[in-house]
Amino acid sequence: MSSITNIQEPTLPWRFLHEYQPIDGVFDEMLAGPGKLRAHCEAFVHSLESMGPHEFASRHDNARRAIRENGVTYNVYGDPQGIDRPWELDMVPLVVSADEWSRLEKGLIQRTRLLNLILLDLHGPQRLLRSGLLPPSLALANPAFLRPCHGIRVPRDIYLHMHGVDLARSPDGQWAVLADRTQAPSGAGYALENRLVLLHSLPEAFRGCHIHRLASFFRAQRDTLSALTPTQHQPARVVLLTPGPYNETYFEHAYLARYLGFTLVEGADLTVRDRRVFIKTLEGLQPVDVIFRRLDDSFCDPLELRGDSFLGVAGLVAAVRAGNVVVANALGSGVIETAAILPFLPALCRDLLGEELLLPSVATWWCGQPAHLSYVLEHLEGLVAKPAFPSKGQEPVFGRKLSDGERKGLAAAIRARPEDFVAQAHVELSSAPVWHRHGLEPRSVVFRTYVAAAGDSFAVMPGGLTRVSSTQDVPIVSMQRGGRSKDTWVLSDGPVSAVSLLAPTDPIRLKPATTELPSRVAENLFWLGRYVERAEHIVRLLRSFVSRLADQDTTDDPRQVSTLLQVLVGLRVLPEELGQNTWLRKLEEETIDLIANQSPHTGLRNALNEVHRLASVVRDRLSIDTWRILNLLHQDMPLGHGRIQFEDVLVHLNRIIADLAAFSGMEMENMTRGHGWRFLNLGRRLERSVNLVGVLRGALGVAHTADSAIVEPLLEIADSSMTYRRRYYAQPRIASALHLLLVDETNTRGLAFQLAAVSDHILRLPRDPRAPSPTREERLIAHARDTLGQADVIASQSWSEDHVAALDGLLGSIADDLQATSDAITYFYFSHAELRVS
Amino acid sequence: MRCDVTHTTEYEYSESVVVAHHVAHLRPRTLPHQECLHHELAITPAPAVTSAYEDYFGNLVTFFAVQGAHERLVIRARSTVTVSAPERPPPRETPPWEAAADRAALPFDAVEFVFASPESRPPWSVDAYARASFPAGRPLLDAVLELTARIHDEFTFDPKATTVATPLAEVLASRRGVCQDFARLEIACLRSLGIPARYVSGYLETVPPPSTPRLLGADASHAWLTVYCPGVGWIPVDPTNNLLPSDGHVTLAWGRDYTDVSPIHGVILGGGAHSLRVHVDVVRLADGEPGRSDQPVPA
Repeated sequence: MSSITNIQEPTLPWRFLHEYQPIDGVFDEMLAGPGKLRAHCEAFVHSLESMGPHEFASRHDNARRAIRENGVTYNVYGDPQGIDRPWELDMVPLVVSADEWSRLEKGLIQRTRLLNLILLDLHGPQRLLRSGLLPPSLALANPAFLRPCHGIRVPRDIYLHMHGVDLARSPDGQWAVLADRTQAPSGAGYALENRLVLLHSLPEAFRGCHIHRLASFFRAQRDTLSALTPTQHQPARVVLLTPGPYNETYFEHAYLARYLGFTLVEGADLTVRDRRVFIKTLEGLQPVDVIFRRLDDSFCDPLELRGDSFLGVAGLVAAVRAGNVVVANALGSGVIETAAILPFLPALCRDLLGEELLLPSVATWWCGQPAHLSYVLEHLEGLVAKPAFPSKGQEPVFGRKLSDGERKGLAAAIRARPEDFVAQAHVELSSAPVWHRHGLEPRSVVFRTYVAAAGDSFAVMPGGLTRVSSTQDVPIVSMQRGGRSKDTWVLSDGPVSAVSLLAPTDPIRLKPATTELPSRVAENLFWLGRYVERAEHIVRLLRSFVSRLADQDTTDDPRQVSTLLQVLVGLRVLPEELGQNTWLRKLEEETIDLIANQSPHTGLRNALNEVHRLASVVRDRLSIDTWRILNLLHQDMPLGHGRIQFEDVLVHLNRIIADLAAFSGMEMENMTRGHGWRFLNLGRRLERSVNLVGVLRGALGVAHTADSAIVEPLLEIADSSMTYRRRYYAQPRIASALHLLLVDETNTRGLAFQLAAVSDHILRLPRDPRAPSPTREERLIAHARDTLGQADVIASQSWSEDHVAALDGLLGSIADDLQATSDAITYFYFSHAELRVS
Repeated sequence: MRCDVTHTTEYEYSESVVVAHHVAHLRPRTLPHQECLHHELAITPAPAVTSAYEDYFGNLVTFFAVQGAHERLVIRARSTVTVSAPERPPPRETPPWEAAADRAALPFDAVEFVFASPESRPPWSVDAYARASFPAGRPLLDAVLELTARIHDEFTFDPKATTVATPLAEVLASRRGVCQDFARLEIACLRSLGIPARYVSGYLETVPPPSTPRLLGADASHAWLTVYCPGVGWIPVDPTNNLLPSDGHVTLAWGRDYTDVSPIHGVILGGGAHSLRVHVDVVRLADGEPGRSDQPVPA
């Protein structure tokens, strides 16, 4: 709210673009001249103006918050924020008129058809190379030309199931193509997320303008991919193949997988048998029909493509060659991602389609052509030189920014390997207003839209991802360079019907993605359960200690602090040095410091980091609300510096407990009871058992000296104080407390309850019919429950030191069984999934 | 010559391999001067899938998958091949080398071999090394013979010096290597001048006829190159032995470099550490003598 108070209350009606000043000589997307609004933007601007600046600024803040809470991230390589960089969205969309769009749409579809035909030829007869319409070296010197993929027939002759096109508008108002993304174009998921955020933030504006919806595009894409099944297997199993959580756009892989109803997989989740691709699930190998990939061509198969790829599937090319699986986009489609092809498109379009190319490309020269080479060398100063076949870390070079010496060096490099370079005319990008602080600023924009195979033809996404430069004077628009994005609104001539992927009239029935659980996902859910529970346990331990430390003066039993300290040091939640403090004041300070600065000693930071990491990896399995809770937990973590009191620490710990409780609520109430939930809950139950056994043993260790001093904190840590009071109406005693925590099967926080739950889960896990019965996990957990029965007998007898020792021994045996159970589950279900199902 | 070739590759793994996918280039090509009369590939344990096809370069490839757990994999290729000496133009009568470097005039199939594969980008120093033998206007084959002789004389054959992964820059610096290194060095030299050159994988006769010296590289698979000569075609060149092959070299496959034609490579799941043993035997057959692979194979 603080940002709003800085805005002066206007006395006149708000003029949205009143102070907005586009740069001279640059085409602006909203203003046709000073104060002259473009006609197609009027409805949008009026809807904002009737809202007023306060409301707009407040919604802008809310939208940013929503993005943070939804965990929309974009990974910038080398960024200190790592995989958590929030996605940046500007609230003012790029608005495209209906007329202009219909022209663009025709040009885009023509372009995709053209590129698709070129790909068919390059991987087939190569007439274009032999006839010289395309210089042979454009393909042959191109590292993206994958010879193992030559000669493979692709179903329905479709290479490009999804084609991304970067468009820029030149000062004369014409759109031109900057680049084509043909192997695994990114950004469509972000475009969708941007749309959802704006739909919630500016509903009036949406009602005021007729804007094309995006859902029908995604539905067409989903239906088309699902219909590609190479076998008669129905419904088709489609997976979305991601390079994994460290990829820059992992967020949208998970997002799109959930939206489209495809299973999100990494290369390691897939395996090839009999030249068919299978997904490794807990229930064995399940055949895969279509792979919608977000992995670059050459990484898809370490056997026939890049041998050093750990992201792909060995034997995938062989499976594709045998016609047993469809990869979209088809393998090899990266070959025309090179800008070197742009100068040849007009002639190719005439040859292949008998049409004039409708959508021009930015003027481009490929130095692999002698005539182009000499032009480029003569005009280097006015051009932008780029690698023709880009690999990571290669940047465009602006000729005009080079010194004479640097330019000579560049010319020499070009002469030595001319086919490695292209040069492009410098494009003066158009500008659009961007909300910055409390006003609008012009920024350069590049618009990426998408063309997808749809039925027998291609369909254009009526919208897309508009990216703006990070500052006014940077001419390069790139999310990797910290740019922002905008939603893109394509206006319709008439009303637009609402289509949602979730519409009940949806004609196709896809297998819900949740019925299939890749072994890797099961493992991550299991550990997510364990770490969530571990985090809660540590917080409860710390809170019980801090609250007693804070209430030193008023507490009934002053021994509680020292007893608890002893237990927590024993459990390695507090460092040993802390126990050696004789000065109370010092002890207080150091405790606050440990928690406020998230010292690694407590283990809390590690547990919460693991929760966040694991949740990121399985986020396509979590509901948006569940993810939001886990994300809040992550953002609540730092307490900061400065003067921190006990109260602050307690508030902090309570907030974490509340967040964790909210997650547990989601887990119990919102998750389908499939194997995914089972592994999550199994992890939680096992972890809670382990923690309970640990804290009970710690309490037994001090019980003979300070019985009453430990019982109350123990009940509190195990969240059983209320239950105890209702049962016993008395001052807590160790024997009755042990009974409640160990063997009372109705106490949902007690050990007996946890072991019963673990046992139940294990019995319901999918099993290999060849495995011995009972399984190792079953035997272990049965043994732990027997042991617990013996402990009951001991605990109910009169209290003595011998009994304490015997009880400790039994609890130790249970701890061993629990550890072995966890190992057995890991062994059978996660690490050796291959062996199990071979 | 007519000969029997036996090429045995044996993998041993310290741990069980669950699934193995392999691609083999073990079937000799049929060419104007070479005929493959017989070929068989025996794989133990028996693969679940075998499929043979022609690759982009026209080589005969076998893809196979072994899907049961195994600790040992043996691939034995047996072929009977006849090779005749290819025609060879007098070196001084070949066109000037610049004609082979005129990309616009080259046939499409030759342009393919002007470029290195992404994995085999040569260092800049190769260019300087090559230029010494290629003054302007010199007949192509004449220059190639000199370059071949220089590589043979200035480099030491040393099986311990390199592996298939050793960068060319290192070979150039240490002046040591094996047939693969000398072949790829000469290829890189020719390509740096714009002349098309192909990497060839194949075999040499194991025990040569009496009074002929035994050639280097005869007990394993061998590697050499072919250079494109306008008006003539592809001429084979063996820098390891400093000669132009005649009928003693059996051609298996060709490509841009080793990775296009490696006799066998695979991706396995499991396996731990592995050891590899390769044995090649090429036996010349007398006129009328039946080839070993014509005879029934013992069970």
